[in-house]
Amino acid sequence: MLFNSIPFLAFFILFFFFYWFVFNKTAQGQNILILAGSYVFYVFTDWRFLAILIAASLFNYLAGIGMVRSHRHRKWLLWLGMIQGIGSLIIFKYFNFFIGSFNEILTRLHLAFNFQLLSVIVPVGISFFTFRTMSYLLDIDKGKIKASTNWVSFFGYVAFFPSLLSGPIDRARTFIPQLEKHRKFNYEVASDGMRQILWGVFKKVVVADNCAIIANGIFSNYLELPGSSLLIGAFFYTIQMYADFSGYSDMAIGIGKLLGFNITPNFDNPFFAQNIAEFWRKWHISLTSWLTEYVFTPLSISFRNMGKGGLCLAIIINFTLVGIWHGASWTYIAFGFLHGCYFIPLILKESMNKKKKIDSNKQNPSLTQLLNVIKTFALVMLTFVVFRSEKLSEAWRYYKILFSESLISMPVIADKVIVMKAVLFLLLMFITEWLQRGQQHGLALVSIKYPVLRSGIYLTVVFLIIWLGAGSASQFIYFRF
Amino acid sequence: MDRANILKQVNDIFLEVLDDEDLVLSDEMTASEVEDWDSLNHIQLVVAIERQFRIRFSSKEIQSWANVGELVNCIQSKQRDIVDKEFDYLI
Repeated sequence: MLFNSIPFLAFFILFFFFYWFVFNKTAQGQNILILAGSYVFYVFTDWRFLAILIAASLFNYLAGIGMVRSHRHRKWLLWLGMIQGIGSLIIFKYFNFFIGSFNEILTRLHLAFNFQLLSVIVPVGISFFTFRTMSYLLDIDKGKIKASTNWVSFFGYVAFFPSLLSGPIDRARTFIPQLEKHRKFNYEVASDGMRQILWGVFKKVVVADNCAIIANGIFSNYLELPGSSLLIGAFFYTIQMYADFSGYSDMAIGIGKLLGFNITPNFDNPFFAQNIAEFWRKWHISLTSWLTEYVFTPLSISFRNMGKGGLCLAIIINFTLVGIWHGASWTYIAFGFLHGCYFIPLILKESMNKKKKIDSNKQNPSLTQLLNVIKTFALVMLTFVVFRSEKLSEAWRYYKILFSESLISMPVIADKVIVMKAVLFLLLMFITEWLQRGQQHGLALVSIKYPVLRSGIYLTVVFLIIWLGAGSASQFIYFRF
Repeated sequence: MDRANILKQVNDIFLEVLDDEDLVLSDEMTASEVEDWDSLNHIQLVVAIERQFRIRFSSKEIQSWANVGELVNCIQSKQRDIVDKEFDYLI
């Protein structure tokens, strides 16, 4: 279910009233409703995979208890859990990719034998809930969390509907304790949640969906267009990615606040970053921090005597995994690998952290800092071309045209009006997020003293959403991961 | 080596690796409180500390430190192990 859709609205309004008025007496009651509601939500999205979600929850719940009950069995239960998690990702997401690639190699070697592809469809949200369950077992192993003995809480953690389909990926150690506490309605938090949802909807419907129209038009026709148009396409796709995914995350976090939960943030103004390391501390934070904790840190520790080469290797492996996490495609792998490579100059020059962050100090950024921001944006924008492409060969052709002499020719723009609109909207978004850079989201208008002015702003945003929202409600990009 | 001395040496290593002249470490400080202390710099810090004190941490030890104090304790206990081993050797 799309958050900005009538079915979800109907579901959530019903859910909200039952949650705070009927099931509100105990934490257990609230959690039973959360679990039931999350499964209803999942069934509405795609009923075929509910069994997988439940099976994964049951398996990891029992594994967690087993790990704590028996010290002897702890390690192999952990391994079993990792195999279940990675295994299910491999089977559902990557099996056809491996077999397909293998078949291609066989064909290239002129061998007639080909392996059969499975007709498997990817269960919705599997990348997200699998990372939740894996972090649970890993944290039990490290002693960071006790195994849950309340299956309702644990299953609710795995299936929590605001974050089920596209994250943020909350760790069990920060989220399960929240489930175990009885939530009391807090008006301030709930109103802030509403504002965050509003901001998320604005980003998705006004910014992302309008940028999508431009990007789709250019990407679907890129062979006929000059490099300058392709640059515009890459630019708007990058903005679309940010607005879509951060908008969705804001909605998820806002919905969490309405229910009394503190969901982990996913974005922190990534386009204000001055280098790629800072960018990844601000983009898809819950995934990056997951991989940093469970992959990069152990790897970098093992490789520490290999000097800078070891660090580079660890980073490249880590970010290639970021790419692979998105899906079974060479384009995603290339995306991740490119980002890993972007770190190499930073690591070699030891300048990962030396720049003063532009959004933490009160002064306006200097010219050098602005140039760094533009440089970082450009690097990221280029990787989104391959991210979006169906095949590496397409991305390659796109880059070739982009970097040809037609880059300095006049761009061919099908609809100038929509480009102007999109530029206006994205400026509105970035200026707001710049002014609000100390806050959790764009509409936490703490610094505006007059309630009338704040209300006026909220109403304006609602109006803009209704008036300017792109006609077709398009699916969130990250639903397919 | 006494604890204060270890903390001072660790502080110097941090100043050097993080290129931050104003940093003063205390036992309770965690990575989230030190602006440039993140996963990329963390491993540089570990390597520099291992070199300085001529010790080797296990992976488990490195991932177990919750704050600067625990890191310093770990260094101290590793040094004690070395001294004990040398003493055993002498006997």
